[in-house]
Amino acid sequence: MNKNTDIIRKLIDGEFSQEEEKAALRLIESDPLQKEELDLLRKTIRIAGNCERKSAPHSFTSEVMRELTPHTKVKMERLQDFFFRQRMVRWNIAAAVAAVFFVAILGGGIFYIQKKDSRISSLSPETMITVRFEFYSPEAKSVSLAGDFNKWSTDEALMKKQGDGIWTIDIPLKPKMYSYMFVIDGKVWAEDPKSDSYHDDGFGNKNSVVRVSTS
Amino acid sequence: MQQEEHALIKQCAEGIADTYAILVERHKDMVYNVAYRMLGDADLAQDLAQESFISAYNNLKNFRYDSKFSTWLYSIVINKCRDNLRSRQHHVPLDESPDIASSVANPEEEASGKQIMDKIQSALNMLPEDYREVIVLKHIEGLDYREMEAVLNVSVNALKVKTHRGREMLKRLLKEMGVLDE
Repeated sequence: MNKNTDIIRKLIDGEFSQEEEKAALRLIESDPLQKEELDLLRKTIRIAGNCERKSAPHSFTSEVMRELTPHTKVKMERLQDFFFRQRMVRWNIAAAVAAVFFVAILGGGIFYIQKKDSRISSLSPETMITVRFEFYSPEAKSVSLAGDFNKWSTDEALMKKQGDGIWTIDIPLKPKMYSYMFVIDGKVWAEDPKSDSYHDDGFGNKNSVVRVSTS
Repeated sequence: MQQEEHALIKQCAEGIADTYAILVERHKDMVYNVAYRMLGDADLAQDLAQESFISAYNNLKNFRYDSKFSTWLYSIVINKCRDNLRSRQHHVPLDESPDIASSVANPEEEASGKQIMDKIQSALNMLPEDYREVIVLKHIEGLDYREMEAVLNVSVNALKVKTHRGREMLKRLLKEMGVLDE
């Protein structure tokens, strides 16, 4: 790049100080060819900058989101197809009797499974332990608790402001280890300074960790 | 804004796919516009812009939280455009190569905004790929050289020289098309 070309480039990119710019302009404008070059380049840039901004079609986002879960969709479609597709069934007495027995056995199995499940779920509430989370943030307008127990939702567990800028929430949790963070004003993620421990989340941040146990 | 966006990305990386719709909605026009200006074709731009978002989603675990999500998206869409342009180079018949004469307006035609836009796009299509990238990022998207360095992985000094050469070539093309006289 020759000297004048470099001066023109610097003028266009705004790299000169005010004084330098005046001197550079005097130099370039003293040569009609250089002046024309500078004017045409500025016009080119103005035209490029005024290019109409193209907008993506309205269906763009929904089409992307549909592509993100093709496997799930295929599975669901197969499942729907299995249950709701119209089928032609040829009956005879032997097959009907076999079907009645099959339904009876299957029904018993489902009943057994449901009974077992209900026994488990009836135990679950007893194993839940209410954990109080506290966070000091006097300037915050809202604070929420996000963790792996609520799929890191930022608006599900909204904390209540107590006196002295302390925010609290009570969450029932099963005995286990959980990662969590506080979300201030729906934007800023903050770790708990009083956390049991911390662990790296693999993205360069540290999550707070709470161990919930019955002992 | 950046922290809020990083929080959304974190949620997506944790498997909450629905959150990604917010990010797509926020950046779709930018990604689409870059693809359109690089390729000059609306349907192709839509396909590549959508592919860019899908690639970004599938690689969220590689996103570096010390940069902006938009910078990362620019890199992805530029790379998709490069791949497409290079694959087309092997398939475009010679008689379909860009031709300045065919882009120069008929003097009898009325000058209109649309015609000028078409000419600018034709001129962009004629620029070498690396010049087109820097012109689109610098003068159409309005990025500064530091952001361009992060997107293209080219030093600021090299970008300054390349951008200026790109401007000179674009100026020459627009002049030949009569756009700079209007």
